[in-house]
Amino acid sequence: MKNKIGVYICQCGSNISDYVDVEKVKEIVSSEDIVFLSKTTMFACADSTQKEIAADIAEQNLDGLVVASCSPKLHLDTFRNVAIRADLNPYNYVQVNIREQCSWAHSDKPKDATEKAIKLVLAGIHRVKHSVALEKLKISSENTVVVVGAGIAGMRSAIELADMGSQVYLIEREHFVGGRTSQWNELFTTGESGRDVVSSLYKQIKSHSDITLFTGAEVVSKGGSVGNFNIEVKITPRYIKPQCELDMDKFEKVLEICPIEVEDEFNFGLTKRKAIYKNYPSEFPEIPAIDDKNCNRCGKCLELCPDIDFGQKVETLNLKAGAILITTGFDPYEPKEGEFGYKTVDSVITLQQMKRLIELNDKELIYNGKKINKVGFIYCVGSRQPDGDNKYCSRYCCTSAIYTGTVVREKYKNIQNFHFNRGIRTYGKQELLYHDASENGDVFLQFYNDSTPAITSNGTGPKVTIEDFLTKGKEIEVNLDLLVLVTGMVPRKERNIADILKIPIGRDKFYNEIHPKLRPVETVIDGVHIAGACQSPKNITESVKSALSAAAKANSLISKGEIELEPTLAVIDKSLCKSAGECIKICPYDAITTVEYDGKTVSEVNKSSCKGCGMCIPVCPENAIQLIGYTDIEIESMIEALI
Amino acid sequence: MEDITTKKEAKILVFSTEKISDPAIDLAGLLKMHYPPKVYTINIPCSSAVKPRWVLHAFEKGFDGVFIAADGTDCSYSEDCSEKTSELVGLIHKKMEEKGIELARLKMAAVCSVCAEPFVKHMISFNTYLSNIKSN
Amino acid sequence: MSDQTNNYDVLVVGGGIAGEETALNLANIGYKVIMVEKDLSLGGKMIHLSKVFPTLDCSACITTPKVSETARHPNIHIFTNSEVGEIEKISENNFNAVLTEKPRYVTEECTGCQLCEDACPVSVDDQFQYELVGRKAIYIPFSIANPRIAAIDIENCILCGLCEKVCPGDYIDFRQVEKKTPINVKSVVMATGYELFDPTIITRYGFGKFKNVVTAMQMERQLVPTRPYNSVLRPKDGKMPDNIAYVLCTGSRDDTVGNPICSQVCCMYSTKQAQLLMGALPMADVTIYYIHIRAFGKGFCEFYNQTQGMGVEFIKGKIGKIDEVDDGDLILRYEDIESGKVKEAKHDLVVLATGILANKDYQSMFKNIELEADPFNYVKQTNDLSSPARTSIGGVFVAGTASGPMDIPDSILSAGAASAETASYLRRANNEK
Ligand SMILES: Cc1cc2nc3c(=O)[nH]c(=O)nc-3n(C[C@H](O)[C@H](O)[C@H](O)COP(=O)(O)OP(=O)(O)OC[C@H]3O[C@@H](n4cnc5c(N)ncnc54)[C@H](O)[C@@H]3O)c2cc1C
Ligand SMILES: Cc1cc2nc3c(=O)[nH]c(=O)nc-3n(C[C@H](O)[C@H](O)[C@H](O)COP(=O)(O)OP(=O)(O)OC[C@H]3O[C@@H](n4cnc5c(N)ncnc54)[C@H](O)[C@@H]3O)c2cc1C
Ligand code: SF4
Ligand code: SF4
Repeated sequence: MKNKIGVYICQCGSNISDYVDVEKVKEIVSSEDIVFLSKTTMFACADSTQKEIAADIAEQNLDGLVVASCSPKLHLDTFRNVAIRADLNPYNYVQVNIREQCSWAHSDKPKDATEKAIKLVLAGIHRVKHSVALEKLKISSENTVVVVGAGIAGMRSAIELADMGSQVYLIEREHFVGGRTSQWNELFTTGESGRDVVSSLYKQIKSHSDITLFTGAEVVSKGGSVGNFNIEVKITPRYIKPQCELDMDKFEKVLEICPIEVEDEFNFGLTKRKAIYKNYPSEFPEIPAIDDKNCNRCGKCLELCPDIDFGQKVETLNLKAGAILITTGFDPYEPKEGEFGYKTVDSVITLQQMKRLIELNDKELIYNGKKINKVGFIYCVGSRQPDGDNKYCSRYCCTSAIYTGTVVREKYKNIQNFHFNRGIRTYGKQELLYHDASENGDVFLQFYNDSTPAITSNGTGPKVTIEDFLTKGKEIEVNLDLLVLVTGMVPRKERNIADILKIPIGRDKFYNEIHPKLRPVETVIDGVHIAGACQSPKNITESVKSALSAAAKANSLISKGEIELEPTLAVIDKSLCKSAGECIKICPYDAITTVEYDGKTVSEVNKSSCKGCGMCIPVCPENAIQLIGYTDIEIESMIEALI
Repeated sequence: MEDITTKKEAKILVFSTEKISDPAIDLAGLLKMHYPPKVYTINIPCSSAVKPRWVLHAFEKGFDGVFIAADGTDCSYSEDCSEKTSELVGLIHKKMEEKGIELARLKMAAVCSVCAEPFVKHMISFNTYLSNIKSN
Repeated sequence: MSDQTNNYDVLVVGGGIAGEETALNLANIGYKVIMVEKDLSLGGKMIHLSKVFPTLDCSACITTPKVSETARHPNIHIFTNSEVGEIEKISENNFNAVLTEKPRYVTEECTGCQLCEDACPVSVDDQFQYELVGRKAIYIPFSIANPRIAAIDIENCILCGLCEKVCPGDYIDFRQVEKKTPINVKSVVMATGYELFDPTIITRYGFGKFKNVVTAMQMERQLVPTRPYNSVLRPKDGKMPDNIAYVLCTGSRDDTVGNPICSQVCCMYSTKQAQLLMGALPMADVTIYYIHIRAFGKGFCEFYNQTQGMGVEFIKGKIGKIDEVDDGDLILRYEDIESGKVKEAKHDLVVLATGILANKDYQSMFKNIELEADPFNYVKQTNDLSSPARTSIGGVFVAGTASGPMDIPDSILSAGAASAETASYLRRANNEK
């Protein structure tokens, strides 16, 4: 218990002293026997006062400090630092708010304000009396990051992390890297090809000795906590020897001989592929892969290629890491059957299929054997829905649709584009694409939110009937050769990883950050970061910005080899614990586990996962849990002082 | 100068939270909004951390009312903090019942970080309510 | 020479939210940062905003902790009221520059007690309240300024010396002069932010002529919790408005004023202000005249739908002209896009949602090398897709709205990208040595 406390009462110029009689406060509190000295001061935060306080602590050997001034939100750290400079433990310092919550709030009743200030200061003194010296918790940490998902966000952050000095394990579920970016040939707003962007990043990753890439790999379990995660990864083999030096001619023959044909997901079902595959010639890693799910092990390919090896086994690896970064991306929305004629009217496709179609058609745009001249785009398919989860705008799609229209118009002859939209959202510099598309003859028709276009077949192609907003609801019919549904982004369907890591999920079902402005790439799980389109719809530049932000955060968290945590945690008195388990249920961080103690099972708080919220303390039927800094004795003695 | 009404004023203990509701109470002061002066705050990390025994202790020592300025949906620790705090209030109510303390003497409301005005309104009406039952 | 030079790892130009986030990230990794801010205090535009979309948290409440963390960080050295110029690239990891500290005529010991403000007899317009109320010739920029130190606006000061007499600590110092110091840094981050479109250029809107036509930034100041009048009032007669109009795309998406691009934030900030106005003036009607509503970010569309649900009216229309009638009310002539007709509407307060423009200051900061601009005068991003912070000069990076219009969440991510790329650059260069 502290019994040599120094108390400083600030006038704050006159902000406090105009309403609170600070001399009277000083006089009354100085009669407490644990108060060794008490002073009033013009500005407690002024440099000169800070020096005086530090000198008093050192010279008089004070064991506790109370400053009654403004809100602790402003100056808690200022005076904690004064304490540290004078060799007093900063947790033996309490700041009492007699400005915002006293002099200003009760400037209409100065006498009452003074009474209140006295009680508040007394409560502060009693809190210091029972305070204990605390040290920040220090836990060691691995300077290693596990990055899950090798799309543009994952690849880019892996490179940056390695450049900043961290070790990186990059885990990709597919057998090839690049994610969605490798599926789009022309990219807004630079015109680069997705493949080229991915190839250049892949080469950087390969040449970086600090990055280890695993493909066909998935996280299956997580243990430990920030600084020291244990990640178990399952790796499905590609059944092709690593020394394979791909010979394209030979590979063509192997493809011919493979009898299994499945829908090609890379082309969104526009084409078929074999069980042994590679999505495009320059795809990385260079070696093809055999799709385990569909291969029937007929062995025909073995006859042509000695590098095929069905003896490869599923492997499990255990990785140690200080931090985790999730960059698992999104799925393009898949319209329901009949939604805007999808799968019920001929020549209705999605934007993602359109992107692939352009790449597959070099000279002329052909779909289902028919040459295409009139192309329509219906916007906001699967986004901005009045009901359901997809209330959000998918952000990338207006720009992507306009850009895709432009590419089509410029690549093929005699194209006329129609854009059936709900108000174009080409924000920022992307506006120019919209501007140029209008100038170059693209037609924009806006429909009402509550009257969506009707799609029927006119015998030769889809027909769109809309009430056009811009002509006050006049009904317009447009006959097309091809209708493209501008589909939005949705969270990935397959998201085991969220369950394994307990990543919080937001209202829109994307992964949720702690705070969109203050901590946009961190989650409430310490050490687990999110970036790219798994957090919310984003284009590539935006995905990369968030990936690099996450890289910076993860690196600064773990690169010092040691992580500091606040010591205000819950502690369980094991001798009182009867293992009711209520605390385990309520803890939002899974920070409480059971251990054996004195022949019984009791609960214990994991110091590196506990965030000190205190939710567990009221639910314990035995009152066996105390929150450091808010213990029963501290709070109850404050209550007594306030009455 | 002391006005007579002060005599009757109720003593209210407020549990505020460091990141959410306490800033709102600060803001009320910053804007010089007035509320009854016998309102005292103790701040804690999260409103789902108020121990029933603290509340009972406050009543026992002479507080007329206890107000939990809850984090609500702004809580940085848990999305369902509102529900957790409500459940907690239920638990405390049970204990108050056992001791024969009128349940309305404990009140809870979500106070966001800029809810200065709602906070002041809560204090004024709670004070009126408590001082009425006090003088009866 | 070299012993006079101050050495740092990173020079961050601009102390807005983007600059702070960059400086903090780099300082936390362990780099030594010098931050140069032109204004008297940190926080940029954000610290002056009311509540921010889409979460409606109080802007000051979330900026102030960032600002004080920056100010307190042992690895960050801040110069406010200062500028930097003559930046010269000697080689990779080696830039020379000159820091210019302007005098504030008050020493750093100032405690911000404001006694001098009471004493000063000179009243001028307060630029931080966007000319809504006055301030003195000696003043603390605003209540939550950091540093919270007074400064004398020497152009308006009449040298009466009254402040010197009342200052409790002898902190007024009229002898201060401009100081130039050479510095050496290994890398530079440009975080100089944006400028606001000046609506007097569009004369048909009558801004500057009709008092009840205000800008959205002026409205922000009326809506902050520490607002000057504690209510929203019409400038002309101090009446509470009850029929407010917003004119979107003022100075954006408009070739005639030389700014063809969309400012990316004004749809949302207007929607936000409309919500706040519904709270502050429950009886008022709010109408937003728009071309398209750009509610694209996380939570934005939901926020927009909510605003519609609250009864804010959205009219797709282009404003032709604004006229004032006798009582200060305003007549808006607009083309109603839905009906194709020209219509008129009467409002008692008009808010111009002025767009965002490039701050071109960086164009004159360099000495032997040019930092290239994009077609709209923003700092050019030379690898937009995969290295968004990279510029035309190796070792010079860009953060926040210095590279184009964006909201706060995007500015913060952009600053994160700039920090990572700068950190890698520094480490790469270190390793090569
Ligand atoms: C039709 C269309 C066109 C587009 N055009 C453009 C354009 O022109 N310009 C532009 O800037 N943006 C464009 N975009 C947006 C762009 O695709 C995204 O911004 C980008 O792909 C997001 O990258 P990411 O890395 O976050 O996610 P993704 O690209 O989805 O990558 C995620 C990666 O994680 C892997 N993964 C998923 N789950 C796991 C797991 N559990 N374990 C391991 N790995 C996993 C995936 O296999 C994938 O490789 C377009 C989007 C669409 C739909
Ligand atoms: C009316 C209005 C309302 C808004 N509301 C919202 C909102 O609700 N939510 C939201 O997300 N966004 C909002 N925004 C956008 C927001 O203001 C910006 O996204 C954000 O402030 C950008 O921060 P920044 O650091 O890039 O730029 P700035 O805030 O402009 O900071 C730049 C800094 O650099 C300094 N500087 C400039 N030139 C120099 C130089 N030569 N030398 C040294 N220093 C220099 C400046 O003084 C300033 O401190 C709003 C914008 C406006 C206009
Ligand atoms: S970006 Fe455009 S198409 Fe996509 S959801 Fe938003 S408004 Fe609709
Ligand atoms: S954000 Fe909205 S108001 Fe601003 S320029 Fe773009 S479309 Fe116009």
